[in-house]
Amino acid sequence: MTTLLQVTGLTKRFAEKTVVDAIDFVLEEHTSTALIGPNGAGKTTTLSMLTGLLRPSFGSVNMVGGDLRANIGFLPQYPQFQPWLSALEFTEMAAKLSGVSAKKAKQEAQKTLEFVGLGNDLHKKIATFSGGMKQRLGISQAIVHKPKLLLLDEPVSALDPVGRREVLDLLKGLQQQTTILYSTHILNDAEEMTDQLLFLSDGKLVEQGTLREVRQRYDEPNYVVEFSTVEEAQYFVSQSTFKCTVNGCYVSVAIQEDKPSMQQLLESLTAYPYLVRNVARQTASLEEIFMKVAKRV
Amino acid sequence: MSGMNVLLQKEFREAWRSRKFLWIPLVFALLGMSEPLTNYYMMDILEAVGNMPEGFEMLMPELVPADLLLATISQFQLIGLLVLMASFVGAISKERSNGTATLLYVRPISFGSFFISKFIVISAVGFVSIVAGFAASVYYTVVLYGTFEVGTLLASIGTYFIWVLFVLALTLMMSAAFKTTVAATAAFIIIFIGQIIDGLVGTFWTISPWKLPLYGVQLIRGTMEMSDYWWSLVMTVVLICVCMSIGVFSMKKNASSTKI
Repeated sequence: MTTLLQVTGLTKRFAEKTVVDAIDFVLEEHTSTALIGPNGAGKTTTLSMLTGLLRPSFGSVNMVGGDLRANIGFLPQYPQFQPWLSALEFTEMAAKLSGVSAKKAKQEAQKTLEFVGLGNDLHKKIATFSGGMKQRLGISQAIVHKPKLLLLDEPVSALDPVGRREVLDLLKGLQQQTTILYSTHILNDAEEMTDQLLFLSDGKLVEQGTLREVRQRYDEPNYVVEFSTVEEAQYFVSQSTFKCTVNGCYVSVAIQEDKPSMQQLLESLTAYPYLVRNVARQTASLEEIFMKVAKRV
Repeated sequence: MSGMNVLLQKEFREAWRSRKFLWIPLVFALLGMSEPLTNYYMMDILEAVGNMPEGFEMLMPELVPADLLLATISQFQLIGLLVLMASFVGAISKERSNGTATLLYVRPISFGSFFISKFIVISAVGFVSIVAGFAASVYYTVVLYGTFEVGTLLASIGTYFIWVLFVLALTLMMSAAFKTTVAATAAFIIIFIGQIIDGLVGTFWTISPWKLPLYGVQLIRGTMEMSDYWWSLVMTVVLICVCMSIGVFSMKKNASSTKI
């Protein structure tokens, strides 16, 4: 894999407050990276610095083999358009301003708008667009010039479930063609399409790696045992020597992940007078990891 | 200056679709025709309103065409400039505050192009406006009072246009440097306080942009001290360039205050 973007010691300070504090990371070509963190962690500020809108206090952003500004597409969290332009006029303008030749711009704009699902609204004024349509238009202006790097700030946070699903599928379709860096605080989305995770908290990069790596680091072996009734579950907990937490018919059991402990658990289950419905190894969800990372800081 | 054509097209579309090319020239045309008409029909208007004491005689001054042009310009100087400045003082600052600038500023385009494309389109609106205003005024003056010499009339209109360019460059610079409300206040103060100062000490302060509207009329009268005229003109052009440079610089500096 080849490196596309190298960020070193990126820092932004406003008066007394350090909003982004010396973060380093690398983006590989054709990967998707999720920038996650609670509100106010510095996600938007980081993206603004990558776009060049905001000048970093310290540190550098280097794009390998090219000028950064000419090779990015940016979608802000709440994209604002000139309402008196039509979707096609706006996308065409965006393409030309990013260096697509006048001849090809219109054709590319049309193709892109069809790709994002606005094929029937080419000549409608943006003033009449709904939130979801604006988000699609926002994506189309970000990708119309085929940038090497796509920066998206909370691309789906403001959408309803249907719109979210559609936009996520759109972005997945783009994964093959370009490098994507997007911020989000909705962890399910990050779980769905990501190669690399960057956890930001209070301006600091507190954890990074692939989803699998991060998961392994924070995973605590955990088995969930399902019983038929709540009473059965509670009975099991009262008899058990393991550390258990009960939630309705489900009991989650924290154990060491080795043969003797496993054996002990299974034996205690077979010795148990009722039938067990289900036993499953549980993987920590991104949300649990997120809470652990945030707590650790 | 890459992307200049695209930006020009965008600005023209905006001015066109918001009807700025229509209603601002219309305001100027109405102002322009009002002076010769009201002056010519003043006696009739007074009589129609009535309430004149018995045997009241009023001496109306004998007006020459240049007087009516001067009266027209003084209308432009207050209401006309107010309309122009108010229409364009948000040209840059509003794009920043409503966030539409974000999707433009992230593109590989120089701030010079952004600024100059706006200045060109705003100047075009200003040009059409004063041409409409002067045309209306000159038409009624010629019909009711007498003719102008074409050469000096055009020079006078050209001179007024240079003054308007200065007003617009200053307005746009303020828009680049400040938020809309601050920009409007600052631009209004400089232009209108300048006019008041010029009214008070103008006899001694003969070289300034604020002199240009008057000098334009004096060209028609043939009473112009030409060295004052040229120096004022040079000074105005230099100030326009200074405003533009500061404008581009502050636009770049304030790009980070764009709402994201």
